[in-house]
Amino acid sequence: MARPAHPEAMAPAKPGRTRTAPPHRPPKFPMQGRYRAYTLFDATGAVYLLMGFGVLHAVRTLGDGEVAWQALLSGWAAPLYVAFHLLALVSVLFVGVRFFRLFPKAQPPRIGPAKPPPGPVILGMLYAVWIGVTALFVGILSGGIFG
Amino acid sequence: MSDLPKKTFVVTRFDPDQDEAPRTERYEVPCHPDWKVLDALNYIKDEIDGTLSHRWSCRMAVCGSCGMQVNGEPSLTCKQPVSELPDTVEVAPLANFPVIRDLVVELEGFLEKLKQVKPWIIRAKEKAVEEGTHSQSPAEHAEFKQFSMCINCMLCYAACPVVANEPEFLGPAAIALGHRYSTDSRDEGAAERNEIFRGEGTVFSCSYANECSEVCPKHVDPAAAVNQAKFNAVIDWATGLVLPRGGRE
Repeated sequence: MARPAHPEAMAPAKPGRTRTAPPHRPPKFPMQGRYRAYTLFDATGAVYLLMGFGVLHAVRTLGDGEVAWQALLSGWAAPLYVAFHLLALVSVLFVGVRFFRLFPKAQPPRIGPAKPPPGPVILGMLYAVWIGVTALFVGILSGGIFG
Repeated sequence: MSDLPKKTFVVTRFDPDQDEAPRTERYEVPCHPDWKVLDALNYIKDEIDGTLSHRWSCRMAVCGSCGMQVNGEPSLTCKQPVSELPDTVEVAPLANFPVIRDLVVELEGFLEKLKQVKPWIIRAKEKAVEEGTHSQSPAEHAEFKQFSMCINCMLCYAACPVVANEPEFLGPAAIALGHRYSTDSRDEGAAERNEIFRGEGTVFSCSYANECSEVCPKHVDPAAAVNQAKFNAVIDWATGLVLPRGGRE
């Protein structure tokens, strides 16, 4: 048998006259079959949490002066940090692609009197914005813009 | 029958009068090549073990009665060919539901949730019969037709990881049916339902696993309905903030 679900899952407000066996979870959850992609999608949250702590640490280091900042940057060149940033990049790409794939069908058929564009157009717009914003940030960080 | 190739069916059994917890029982079933899993279960009940309990009715994927876990996948047993399955077939009651007996699950909880979303046409003012029918164009009909194809088979609930964790969650089919009526051009109850959908355990509990849509045998796409309902609930809330009477006439 699969692992138990919440004991009250799908239970009626008032229990019936017959004793029931408690509900069990979907047997393949969390790591088998199609659930694997969903679980990995959720697990990327841990990567973003660590990234968030990293950003906070970087912001605090900025206030500690040039020497501390250079030490932080050289620390980021360590293989462990590089591997973590690669993991973060893969996580962002994975979440982005999954989110963009599912987003168009979340559009209602009408928003007031207006009809949203067809799914493929929405998908194209999302990717265009993603690429555009990424290019903008690359430009800013490399000094090409505001440099 | 004896010449037919045999498959082993491992069926979950639970007798509330005798069993502490569900157990499994194995049955050797000679299977016709064109059989569905439901045919094999009916064979077990008719020829091997008359105490087996399972729900079924139409045998053509219309009534939604025979949903079960087949080798871990929520499936309509009348639609799942035995020939596509390995030699050992595990049949269990739908996940995420209390089990009444063997393969029969308790659906009362779902019916209570369904009622909450008011799955009927709500009119601000009823039209007199002599005023004629409520006309609807094919384009207006197309906006909700997909969501009206739900047969309440509960496969979406069995696939949903949120249902397993949050007992208050209305769940995919109930929200899809509520959204179906909110999208119907004859309905004037969308604001009422949006208020329900903004409550706890409703559309915003959905984490968009999309598994409900993957297993839906009628291609209703409940995940689309849930997430469209999220969008509408937010738009309705925002409109209510900036326009008098929420922008409604």
